Amino acid sequence: MLKSKKNVLWEALVVTIVIFLAGLFLGMLLETSNSVEVSNLYTQSEISLTDAMTTLRLTEDSDFNCDVIKQGNIDFANRIYEEAKTLEKYEESGKLTDSIKLFHKKYDLLRTLLWTSNQKSLERCENYDLLVYLYEYNSEDNGKKALQNVWSKILLDVKQQNEDILLLPIAADQELTSLDLLMSEYGITQLPALVINNEQVLYEIENQNQIQTLLD
Amino acid sequence: MEFLTILYFVYTFVAFYFLTIYIMTYFQNRKAMYETIEPDKIRSLSMVIPCFNEAKSIGKNIEAFLNSDYNGLKKLIIVDDCSTDNSYEIIKQYAKKYSKVIALQTPKNTGNAAGAKNFGIKYVKTELIGFSDADSLPNKNAISKMVGAFNDSKVGGITSRVFVNNPKNYLSRIQAIEYKIIAFTRKLLEFLDAIYVTNGPLSLYRKKAFDQTGGFDTNNLTEDIELTWHLVEKGWQVKMSIPAIVRSYVPITIKTWFHQRIRWNVGGIQTIAKYRKQFLGTGMLGLFIMPFFALSWFLGLTGLVFLGYRIINYIMVRFLVAKYSVAAQVALISMDEFTVNPSILFIFGIVLFSLGLAYTITALTYSKESGWIIGHSIRDIFIYSFFYLLMYPPLLIVSFYKYLRGYNTW
Repeated sequence: MLKSKKNVLWEALVVTIVIFLAGLFLGMLLETSNSVEVSNLYTQSEISLTDAMTTLRLTEDSDFNCDVIKQGNIDFANRIYEEAKTLEKYEESGKLTDSIKLFHKKYDLLRTLLWTSNQKSLERCENYDLLVYLYEYNSEDNGKKALQNVWSKILLDVKQQNEDILLLPIAADQELTSLDLLMSEYGITQLPALVINNEQVLYEIENQNQIQTLLD
Repeated sequence: MEFLTILYFVYTFVAFYFLTIYIMTYFQNRKAMYETIEPDKIRSLSMVIPCFNEAKSIGKNIEAFLNSDYNGLKKLIIVDDCSTDNSYEIIKQYAKKYSKVIALQTPKNTGNAAGAKNFGIKYVKTELIGFSDADSLPNKNAISKMVGAFNDSKVGGITSRVFVNNPKNYLSRIQAIEYKIIAFTRKLLEFLDAIYVTNGPLSLYRKKAFDQTGGFDTNNLTEDIELTWHLVEKGWQVKMSIPAIVRSYVPITIKTWFHQRIRWNVGGIQTIAKYRKQFLGTGMLGLFIMPFFALSWFLGLTGLVFLGYRIINYIMVRFLVAKYSVAAQVALISMDEFTVNPSILFIFGIVLFSLGLAYTITALTYSKESGWIIGHSIRDIFIYSFFYLLMYPPLLIVSFYKYLRGYNTW
């Protein structure tokens, strides 16, 4: 009698395991499909960045129009900003694999490259402003999460009001050697931080007007 | 993978497992759900009914048993536990009028139902012994529907299905849903030999089996749970009859409901503590009933911790965002913050909830008293599923605390 009762318990266990594994497999498929989509976007961005960097290199040796440089950079930054939103969307739903998180890191590296490649052109061309927003990606601190949320909104407002701004949000705690070196170059010790035109570092932002005044 | 994600997967796995057990058991036995076994002979039965300040209901209770169509019911032993109202007078009047009714009174108030029941047991000489609460009203055929189970010499006890007699306000209507789901689940557990409680409103036992337990444990707040585990431990089978219906009153105020649930939970903890050595031992008590109890509590508590953590975190972040946003003069929320891209955890949660809801509706459909398919309003089922069940884990935490503090009052 007991044996037959136990059978249901074993059978139910097997059924549960099968359903559960099927669910996990489905979840992994879903996340892989998201990764493939992000991967395609990333490839496009890599091409755009290479193009932008080649343009910048050409300008170093010739009298290229600063408008071309500005537009190329801003278009590229806007493009990766939009892609970042797609990435963020998938990132929140990615629970089983780290592939999307790795893409986030790759995008941060792209933005870091754009930041470094703009150092010289920013000196030559004064027709645009560069805002590098460095934030903590893996923060568990609710206060910091909320603060970063508000900083993002302020900076987005600033960018929407001024087309000539190159805004680069970069997760600064991704263990990227190049980024760490850049941060130490600017003496950045805490996050979030805002680097304005590679000259000034802010650790506190009151509102949009404060940044606008600094840019003016 | 994050710790919370792993915890969530463990939680959903255990919940899926329980649901799968129920669903498979249901499909394997659905034709036997309403089965009634015809008794192979008339077995003599004595009912013992404890009574404490039940002047309003004891008369109806006695009459309901006197109206029973079971010929083997020999004695109705009503034990007054030194009521301060006129319960005992009413009982004596019935005893004068009907020879079946025996009026007893304990020498002093025992403080719980177990004490009064144990007092009445001494007067039982029949093959079967039954217990009921003084405010419960069994259907005329309730006992007849149960006694056939004793044809099987391995059966030590059988319990009935309880319907709520006073579904007047929200709380009692929700409990009416709860009681039906409990009864449906208990019947499924019967097929696994895993019934863990024979209810107070109406349960019958083989006297020989009952005597082996030594009676009710007066130190336990849920003497009916303890007795059932004792029977199972002794190797007796416990059954449940869906067609045997008894109606009972449930708490209609939050305060009395809370008090009742604390008593039930503390009693459950006392019983687990008493039988802890049986855990994972041989027999369904150790192999299923105890792990089932323990895992049910694990599910409740982890669910509460998980949900609580998420909600508190979300509220804190939203509060701080609102505070900083006002100071910085930016929008409180932006559309970018809303994404419709469900994670696998969300999908698991939805599937689990849908299965749970399907189970609830199936249980209600099987138990409907009147009305349309389900017999309850969608609103009440919604309140039961989304709010009432969420009260279980906090109750459990309070009960643990009270247990540790030595809570032992009715």
